[in-house]
Amino acid sequence: MKKAGSASNPLWYKDAILYELHVRTFQDSNGDGIGDLPGLISRLDYLQDLGVTCLWLLPFFPSPLKDDGYDIADYTSVNPTYGTIDDFKRFLGEAHKRDMQVLIELVINHTSDQHPWFKAARQAPPDSPERDFYVWSNTDQLYKGVPIIFSDTEKSNWTWDDTAKAFYWHRFFSHQPDLNFDNPAVMDEVLKAMRFWLDLGVDGLRLDAIPYLVERDGTTCESLPETHAIIRRLRAAIDAEYTNRFTLAEANQWPPEVRPYFGNGDECHMAFHFPLMPRIYMALRQEDRLPITDIMAQTPAIPDSCQWGLFLRNHDELTLEMVTSDERDYMYFAYSADPRMRVNSGIRRRLAPLLDNNRQRIQLLNSLLLSFPGTPILYYGDEIGMGDNIYLGDRNAVRTPMQWNSDRNAGFSTANPARLSFPVVMDPVYGYQAVNVESELADQSSLLHWMRNMIALRKLFQVFGRGTLEFLNPENRKILAYVRHYDPTSPSREATPIGEKRNVTSPGTETILCVANLSRFAQPVSLDLSEFTGMTPVEMLGYVPFPRITDQPYPLTLAPYSFFWLELQVTPENLPSSQ
Amino acid sequence: MASTPANTAAAPVEVTPPPEANLLIHLSTVSPEALEPALANLALAFPGLPLTVAVPDIAPNLTATNSFNTFQLFPYTPAATSTTSWILTAADYFNTFKLAQERNAPACLLLGAESHTMSPESIRNLGAAALSNSDLAVAHYHPRPHEGLLNSAIFYPVTRALFCARPRFPLALDLGLSLRMAERLATVAQRFTAANQEDALIWPVSEAAVAGFPITEADIPHRTAPQPAATDLNALLGQIAGSLFSDVESKAPFWQRARATVPARTITAVPGPTEPLNVTSMLESFHLAYSNLHEIWALVLPPHTLLGLKRLSVMPQEAFRMADNLWTRIVYDFILAYRLRTINRGHLLGALTPLYLAWVASHLILVHSGIPAERHIEELAIAFETDKPYLVSRWRWPDRFNP
Repeated sequence: MKKAGSASNPLWYKDAILYELHVRTFQDSNGDGIGDLPGLISRLDYLQDLGVTCLWLLPFFPSPLKDDGYDIADYTSVNPTYGTIDDFKRFLGEAHKRDMQVLIELVINHTSDQHPWFKAARQAPPDSPERDFYVWSNTDQLYKGVPIIFSDTEKSNWTWDDTAKAFYWHRFFSHQPDLNFDNPAVMDEVLKAMRFWLDLGVDGLRLDAIPYLVERDGTTCESLPETHAIIRRLRAAIDAEYTNRFTLAEANQWPPEVRPYFGNGDECHMAFHFPLMPRIYMALRQEDRLPITDIMAQTPAIPDSCQWGLFLRNHDELTLEMVTSDERDYMYFAYSADPRMRVNSGIRRRLAPLLDNNRQRIQLLNSLLLSFPGTPILYYGDEIGMGDNIYLGDRNAVRTPMQWNSDRNAGFSTANPARLSFPVVMDPVYGYQAVNVESELADQSSLLHWMRNMIALRKLFQVFGRGTLEFLNPENRKILAYVRHYDPTSPSREATPIGEKRNVTSPGTETILCVANLSRFAQPVSLDLSEFTGMTPVEMLGYVPFPRITDQPYPLTLAPYSFFWLELQVTPENLPSSQ
Repeated sequence: MASTPANTAAAPVEVTPPPEANLLIHLSTVSPEALEPALANLALAFPGLPLTVAVPDIAPNLTATNSFNTFQLFPYTPAATSTTSWILTAADYFNTFKLAQERNAPACLLLGAESHTMSPESIRNLGAAALSNSDLAVAHYHPRPHEGLLNSAIFYPVTRALFCARPRFPLALDLGLSLRMAERLATVAQRFTAANQEDALIWPVSEAAVAGFPITEADIPHRTAPQPAATDLNALLGQIAGSLFSDVESKAPFWQRARATVPARTITAVPGPTEPLNVTSMLESFHLAYSNLHEIWALVLPPHTLLGLKRLSVMPQEAFRMADNLWTRIVYDFILAYRLRTINRGHLLGALTPLYLAWVASHLILVHSGIPAERHIEELAIAFETDKPYLVSRWRWPDRFNP
């Protein structure tokens, strides 16, 4: 039976706070050393209390786990080590009961080589329907020049299969053969898998590796028109059969190239803004706003029903694919002194270690994450400042178990520590004895409390998820200043004027001035706020009114790595009377 | 409630209902013996006006109403039933909208228990307000100095300050509703009735404020208030204040940005209280709690407030006076603790009861000294408005390290 979506507002994802977690490393309930769905259910109160509104679960399907679950062997069931389909249904119900939506992965570019489809394909004769589920060739010279994504481990996008006596195509690991979307039967199966989860009431689907669905010789095999046609078919099925669901595109591309993934509002609802993330780190280290303002200037407008997904860190490396080679070198020098911190084209570190565990820097970057136009996505553990383990292989450095308390295995599991899927972080700075949820809940001044307060504050204002953004250009480039504005009566974001034409005084409008100091030293700044003459900036965290704005430059002084969120309010004597 | 010609700040609504208006009147709780006087009053209130009077299917003689032949009497079986009759509940709002929708009524009056004690003129006032341009007309009663103090101490000043809404009785028993207001309230009510919480309370004034619907008040000088089934103050405060605090929590995005000013009420001189002053038991409760509950209060209240309570605890009865700003901070900090679940919510509201009794004692002592009760209530409401930024700032940054 098809269940309705849990959200009541069709644009709910624009106001959401996403929280990315892995069932495997979040909470183990049965002492086998591996996280599971009942364990996750037992931690939902914590997540609700944190204030996040949508849980993004990394793949939890049956899998050989050679790529942490992105190598799927069965699309419509649950990996038995994580629980059962009934456990998932219970999890979904419990999350919805707490007003949290659920986003899961739809990994359709490839399967595991252990998927029954691939096992049948390699056994089947050439050109048979079974063989045709994947992309085969008698030569590895087809699609020459297409980049290799996992360049550290793969030397070619083709791998010879002895059983099939042919090469098969894979954009990722060789154990992840790409599905052949030129075969209509593949699309039918993908739609079946999608409907299976949406029918259960899942609220969103993250479309993994979506640019690589279709291959054509002589191209980069990325973002082809045929790929967009497939996305539109998925979207049309969702729109026709379901309400209040959303899709999130993983397209690690430059903003103008990601733009087509929104289509005319008929492809993906959301897409990650990959290039912004490394530039936030770059701007911080260079103490210069230019990398941020530059990439935002290159970011095209998107349809009004669409949204950018913003993040500081995730389960992968801090990807540096979307920077120039000079910028990549700079980032390596700045953030990965030890070569073990690097993997593929990126840096496999968590937020806190990247920022040398500096509380002000962590808060500053989170303030940007929460105030930039888009939906913020938090990575599990970053809310308490968890560290990483660069001695684990691949990207597992940032996939260690959640640190709940200072008990054995950080409270994650009662198993023998040697049985854990990954060891807990135990170093003296980030180890679970020093960094854990329990101690931070007890400490009113902890990062966890700060995050909780900031999330709650952001949720009070729709402007962050829905409003326009306009950068100010103060002389001091160590200061990043921008105005967020939202007019609920405006027919669309594009139609909302910026600058002096905008309406900032009508009831319901929200106008917020954000000012951030990217420098390690205190900085002065004078802002041209003449458009808002007569209004009163009210510091939003403490609800403290600042001096009224005049037509003169507005002076502010910011402590190192500090920021202001200032709500521009109509000055009290100009307020209307109530009934 | 007995009559006192006190606060008349609620401007009488002058609008005369158009004769063709099809007003639905829902007597949500009416006993068989009160039905006839209630209908008689309605007949006098709206002579010749086409009315539908909906009454729960409670008595066999419901059809014997020929003497009120301008009415269409409509006995109905409630879609949702509540066991609480002394106050309006989710079931009442749900049923009202269903009835209004079925009867295609543009507006309706929802009258609570003992509505037969209202004068025809009062009912007419409310009806006129309901048919005016307002979406919500709220009864404005004239309580005696000893009456309705939970409302005066908490519900009114909190609702006024947070939602910038004027009604003196945000949980009034008698309301006029436009169809869209009734629908909005029914939508909220349905969330409760669907969870078998038909007795849940709903706060129409804050709902109207959030929706941006116009609100007005209608003067009801005479009315007998039904008595709550539970006479235990703890239970009563837990039920109503808990509901209000939950409502405040759910509407935080709205009230944190609501900043319109509510015009001051005009307070007219009224005779002082005739009852003898007897606050000894209230003060005893407060003093006992000061010894027993201090540790709990310390979890909720900041040091400045605790210091104020310490000073209060040693004041002699004749000089006992809880400053308005002290009570304001207490209520705001309890609202915040309720949101943060600092302690079990039931225990939290229980710890508020003796503080409330101290406020009542202070208020009554003040009133017996010659200060008009309504003037004090008005000053208190202004104190809540003035200190609203304190609640906003603590709500946004609930650091316990504060003054």
